[in-house]
Formats: sequence, structure tokens, C-alpha cells
Amino acid sequence: MAAPPPSLLSPAAGSRLLQAGLRGWTGLVLLFLYLPVIVLAVYSFNSARLGVAWEGFSGRWYAELLHQAPLQRAALNSLVVATATTLLSVVLGTSGAWLLHRYRFPGRDLIESLVNLPMVMPEILLGISLLILFALAGVGLGFITVIIGHVTFSFPFVLVAVRARLQGLDPALEEAARDLGATPWGAFRHVILPALRPAILAGGLMAFLLSWDELIVTYFTTSAASATLPLKVFGLAKVGLNPVLNALSALFLLVTLAGVAFAAYLRRGAR
Amino acid sequence: MKFKTLNLPGRLAALLLALLPLAARGAGQLNLFGWSEYVPQPVLEGFTRETGIKVNFETYSSNEEMLAKLVAGGGRYDLVQPSDYTAEAMIRRKLLQPLDRARLAGLGNLAPEFTGRAHDPEGRYTVPYMSGSVGIVVNTEKVKTPVRGYREVFQAAHRDRIVVVNDSRELVSWALYALGQPVNTVDAASLARVRPLLAEWIKLVKVFDSDSPKTALLNGDVDLGVVWSGEAALLWRENRKFQYILPAEGAHQFVDVLAIPAGARNVAEAHRFIDYILRPEVSRQISAAFPYTNPNLAARRLLTPDELANPASYPQGGKLESFRDIGRAAADIDRLVTDLKSAK
Amino acid sequence: MTPEPVARDPGARPGTLAWLLLAPLLAWLALFVVVPALLLLGCSLGERDEFGQVLWGFSLENYARLLDPVYLRIFLRSLGFAALTTGLCLLIGYPVAYHLARAAPRVRELLLLLVMVPFWTSFLVRTYAWMAILREEGLLNALVAWLQPAWAPLGLLYTPAAVVTGLVYSYLPFLILPVYASVEKLDGALIEAAHDLGAGPWRVFPTVILPLTLPGIAAGVTLVFVPAVAMFAVTDLLGGARVPLIGNVIQNQFLQARDWPFGAALGVALLGLFLVSQLVLRALRPRGALRG
Repeated sequence: MAAPPPSLLSPAAGSRLLQAGLRGWTGLVLLFLYLPVIVLAVYSFNSARLGVAWEGFSGRWYAELLHQAPLQRAALNSLVVATATTLLSVVLGTSGAWLLHRYRFPGRDLIESLVNLPMVMPEILLGISLLILFALAGVGLGFITVIIGHVTFSFPFVLVAVRARLQGLDPALEEAARDLGATPWGAFRHVILPALRPAILAGGLMAFLLSWDELIVTYFTTSAASATLPLKVFGLAKVGLNPVLNALSALFLLVTLAGVAFAAYLRRGAR
Repeated sequence: MKFKTLNLPGRLAALLLALLPLAARGAGQLNLFGWSEYVPQPVLEGFTRETGIKVNFETYSSNEEMLAKLVAGGGRYDLVQPSDYTAEAMIRRKLLQPLDRARLAGLGNLAPEFTGRAHDPEGRYTVPYMSGSVGIVVNTEKVKTPVRGYREVFQAAHRDRIVVVNDSRELVSWALYALGQPVNTVDAASLARVRPLLAEWIKLVKVFDSDSPKTALLNGDVDLGVVWSGEAALLWRENRKFQYILPAEGAHQFVDVLAIPAGARNVAEAHRFIDYILRPEVSRQISAAFPYTNPNLAARRLLTPDELANPASYPQGGKLESFRDIGRAAADIDRLVTDLKSAK
Repeated sequence: MTPEPVARDPGARPGTLAWLLLAPLLAWLALFVVVPALLLLGCSLGERDEFGQVLWGFSLENYARLLDPVYLRIFLRSLGFAALTTGLCLLIGYPVAYHLARAAPRVRELLLLLVMVPFWTSFLVRTYAWMAILREEGLLNALVAWLQPAWAPLGLLYTPAAVVTGLVYSYLPFLILPVYASVEKLDGALIEAAHDLGAGPWRVFPTVILPLTLPGIAAGVTLVFVPAVAMFAVTDLLGGARVPLIGNVIQNQFLQARDWPFGAALGVALLGLFLVSQLVLRALRPRGALRG
């Protein structure tokens, strides 16, 4: 390793033991996390259609994936929904966090509790209650309603993450900017926002992931035309282990891992 | 506005706006709300190729799930696929609209025993799609004793080797059959009578799975069960050791139908789709993918002898009966089964 | 845009512009959180008609039904499962989060991403993969057979153990992320100081590190516990749907029995439970930790 981790524990022998233990444990947990996805990646090459018994190596499920137009369209829908959800959640969550942090006004505690509500609300309750709402309001289901549902449970995660970051921020920062003649917006844009960047990224990533894999709220708020990938996958998976789904999942993993590797490469280049 | 001048969120937003119309196009489409994996993809593609009508296919995995969305008024669907007893309730509630039979040239292909059934005596609202039964499937390599009825499935000897569909009404109806009670008039008294028997049975079950009960059987985690006939037919096709038996005490026969909801917008397209399904060569494709009982006689003539010999698709004899809508009792049944399961 | 007068103390009252900026958040909360929650509450006071449609009204009958020992038992069992899941996630996840946050900056984010990657696949597909591992002729039993040929295959799938495995797997990242964030914020100097004062790693952890990461732990525990209570898909697939949990019962009311009012009542009770526990947690937590 190029730079050994800054050891916070005293250079006593016990601390090195602890370090080794932590590293080993992390390795084991990573193995636990990757075990099922490795299994499904291996099975994506199994030629058996129904069973899980190994019947021989085959790439046909990947070939079949190319002909699955509905899956491709659902993936596109998911991408649209997750991207829109992330953008809206970031705007709503970040502005909300800043305003709640910055100002004091009657009902502020109530608003904070309300922000927590969608996080603790079981998905089926959120889905059903939104369906009742949309039905009463006469709003037709589609992309808009799905995105509304997703933003509702996603933006609190952004808000909470940004809020935590704001609390760790030096209040003098904004003051200094204002003293140097920045407008409130300018101070926010050029001083606060960059400091919040990691929290916004983390919250946004969380929002994207939550939206990408969400099934139940989507089910109650979607129309046939805006059905997302998890809905399609659910329909397919319900009839048993589907090798095409294994292939699809393996492909996603590959793309994601490539993305991670690329990000790591970029970071190395930047240094 | 140049793409390059936008910051990252701006660029993503622009991309999104560009993608939206792609994902939701207008005219010439059909919103189909059907059972998960019950309409083969090639059938949908064939229909689109021939008519130019795009099919938006959304799925559900129980009649109640479909009703939940349809009744709330949220979904705008052009074609739904309820089971007979659900269609009956929907007709009574005016949730379906009458079909224009003149537009359905293929109606004559249907076997007479599947038309004019109790749920829609004049065939004004529904067209049968596929039919099936709920029966016993046995892995004959593992279970050597004969199994003819529900009581022989639910024996102490089979403890933790049984899979059943996770459907409260089905479970209760098997116990009603075993006790010789009617399955379509359920009240507090009949539920009290089945309670002790069902309590015993539920303790013996290893897996409750409505979606893919074949999986546990195929993987060897269980040896016998009570499942949808289509699942049993797939098992038989995979390996002849899986035998399908219609329970001697009586069994549920269901007919899943195609129907047009009252608020449908693309009624003409829905009719074209129903008529497309009625074609023998199309219906034949459905049989190949989902080997339930095909109500289309002309399509049945196109099946291979092997397909026709599948005992789960085309069972011989047996006392088959349709479910009727039981209204409020459905909630009592669910409560009974929840109670018995959690007492375990 | 009129410039806002400078508000120097962080507790300033919002001006017109700030209210305008707050408006979207307030509107969103009102429309899509408060109104649906009230609709749910209203629904729980209603009744089910013959066909399963909601008859709005005012009756506490559904709440009376909640007191039936059947549902109380299910509530308790669900809480037990969720508590076990949360405890295991904490035991398994805390050391990982700690290790990640204390790693060199360059590998830190990479490792964090590595933890997240498996969760880009659908949770259903992952759960099916667990079924392939745990079933009687599955991977784990093959390993057992290889190590101990004399043993009979273990019946792992469709047991409570399989359910807990699936739940821990699904929710582990939700614990790792917040704990990671709070460990990362730890002031290294503080720990150094403790060491300089002669405290070994085994003393520093309970006296310095644990109290300082408490907010992260609290956030993680909430993020795991709450969804774990209401989970139903994992329990159905890995547990064989044998033992109903509260999530299954709620799901059944909406999608099987079509008794929406009772389902809503169950949901309101669950939400009430969460809100009460949150209030208790907030009351118990020292003011300092809240600022974290």
C-alpha cells in the first residue's frame, strides 16, 4: 500500500492485531456481500431454463437479452425515473436542509418530523395512499406520478445527509463571505454549496439507488407505459428463477464495476 | 442553449427531456393489464408487427392486486385478464363494458364448455383466455404411497415435504372439499368447521408459494404439493416423475378471461387484440409457453400429441367446479388463514 | 431580486425570499406526505363493502380488531425479527464501516463503492440467488457434503434463519453508510490524545469512539429497523411464507383480502409505533449528540 492508513490506535502491538482483524473482517463481509451476485453471474451462463442444476455452459441468455425489447424499454423508463428523482430530490433536499438549518420559524420542528415520515412509512402504505390521492384528484398515472412517489421517499435521505454536513460546517464561513461582499445567493453558491458537495453526492447516489430498485410504490403509481425495470423483473422473477434476469443482473454488475474502476482511474489521474 | 454550456445537472435534465417522449408515445397503443408471464412475448410482438399497435404490458399476480389498482380509478387500462369469479364481480359492479361480438371473428373457435359459463352466461363481457385447475402434484420418485385426494397429501408422513399455493381461498376450499362442504357458500359456521382440519394441514406445509410453486419441487426441497395445473404441466414436461392428480374430493377449475374495463380508451385496439388471441396459431403459441388447458378448439388441433397427453394440461375425469364471488367472506377467510399460520 | 438583509445569527427568521425558497418543500410535504397520511387515517376509520371498496365513515372497529391476540403476536414477532436483524447488522457492519472510514482516502471511497455495487442488481434477483445457495441441493450443502460427507443436507431454505440472513444481507449497507459517515468525521487528534494518555485500543473504543459515533449508529439502526419491520418479499421467498409478519399481513389486507380499512389501521398502528419510538429516542439522546 502506498500510504498506510493513519493509525489512530497507539503503536502498541494490540493495535496492529486489531488492524489485521478489521481488514480480515471487512474481507469476509465483502465476500458475504458478493456471494449471491457471484452465484447469479455464474448461473447466467447455465444453459438450464427451469432448474438450478448445472446443465452446461451457454451464452444464449445474453443473446436473448438483446431481443427483449420490453426489458430494454423498462430499463430506459427506470433511467428516466431515477434521474428525474435524483435531480428533484437533490434540489428539494439541499434547499430544504439549508433553509431548515439557516432559519428558525414557527413549525420548524413539525416540518422536520414530517420529513422523517416518508422514511419510516412502509412502501405499501405510501403507494396505496398516493394511489388514493391521485385517484381522488383525477390525476392519470404515468411518469409524473411515479416520479412524485419516488421523490417523496428519496428526498428526505438527501435532506438528512446535507443537514448533517451543515451541522459540521463552520458558521463563520458564510459570514466571512458576506463580509467580503457576497450576496446571500453568492455566499450559498460559492461557499456553502462546494462544502456540501460530498453530502449532496452521497444523498443523490442514495436517491438514485432507492429509485432504481423501487418496486412497491412504483406498482401503485405507474401506468403500463411507464413501467420500470423492477416491475418487469418482478413479473419475470415471479414465475421462477429466470436465466435472462441473471444475465441482465450480471451485465449491470459489470457496467457498475467498470464505472467504479473508471472513477478510480480518473481519481488517480487527477492526483 | 448549447449543450456544452450547461452544468452537469442541467445536462442530465436536458437528456431527460429528450428521453421522455421516447418513453411515452401516443396513438395506436393498447394498455394491457395481465397476469405476470401469461402472455408470451412473441405473441405481443406478432400483434404489433401486424397491426402497428404498440402494447404496453403491465402485470399483476393476483386478481385482488388488479382490482386494487383498477377500482381505485388510477390505472387506465384497455384490456384486463381477470379470473372468472372476479370477472363476475366486476360485471356486477359495472367495471367492464360489453364487447362488440361482431368484431370478434374467432369466437367460433372456442370449445362450447368454455362459453356461456356462470360468470357471464351470455358471453357479453368476457372471452376465455386459458383455463386450468388446482390439483395435486407428486414426485413419484420420492413418494411411493398412492395419493388421490387432499387428505392423502396432508399426512404426518409428508411433514415439511409439501408446497401449496399461497392463496387463502384455495386452502380453505380444499378443507371444505375434504369435509364434503360447498365451496361457494362460505359463512362463519362452515369456517368454524374447517378450522381444526386446516390447522393440522398448515402445520405440515413447508412452502407457501403462489408465483412459482414448481421451483421448490424442481429443486427437491419438497416432494408433493397442491398447485396450479400449468405449473404441474411444466414440471411434467421437465421430468415425467412429476405426476398430476385431480383430487378425488373435488377441485377448483378456473377460466381466465379477457375483458375491456369500463373506462378503456382504446376499445377498437382491445377488440383487435382479443380477436388476434382467438386465432388458432396464436393461441397455440400461448399453449406452448404456458401449458394450461386451451379453451380454443381450433388451437388444440395444432398441438402435438405430447402436449395433449400432458395430464396436467388436459386431465381426465375429476370433479371440477368454478369458484363464485363470495363477497365479504373473503376477508374472513384471510383472517382464519393468517390466524392458523401464525399459531404455528 | 431584492437583496436579503444579512442574517448573521444562524437562527434568523426567514425573509420573503427564504419563504419563497421554502415553499416547494412545504408544498411537497403538504401534498404528498400530509394529505396521503390523512387519507390513510381516514381510510382506517372506514369500512369495507361487499366488493372490497372503501366505505368512508367513522368507526373504531378496525382498531379494536388490532387488539386481537393474533395480530399482537404477529406485531411482536415482527419486532423481534427486525431487532435481531438490526443487532446482527450492527455487529457485522460496524467494524466494516470503521475500517473503511479509517482507510487511506484513496481506497476509502473505492471500498465504499465496492460495498454498494451488489445493490445495483434487483433485490429480487439477489434473493433468488440466496435461494440457490441455501436450498437442499444448493451451494452451502455441497460445501457441507464435501467437508463432512457423513452429514445429512441441512434444511436451510424456508426457515427463520434464512429469513434473517436475507434481511441482514438486504439492509447491511443502510447501516454501514451512516456509521461510516460518523466515523469519518471523528477527530483523529482526539483519539491520539486518548492514546497519549495511555489508553489502549480496547479502552479508547468504549470511552471515546463509541460515544462519538452514536449519532451514526442511531441513524443506521433506524434505517435498518424500520424497513425490516415491514418487509414482506424476503420473508415470503426465503421463509416460504409460513410465518406471517406484520408486512405480510398489511400486504394481504390490500392485495388479497381487499380489506383496505383494516390494512390502513395496521399501517397507522405501525407508523404510530415508529413515531413514539422516535420521540423516546429523541428524549433519551443527550442534546450534544444530536448536533453530531
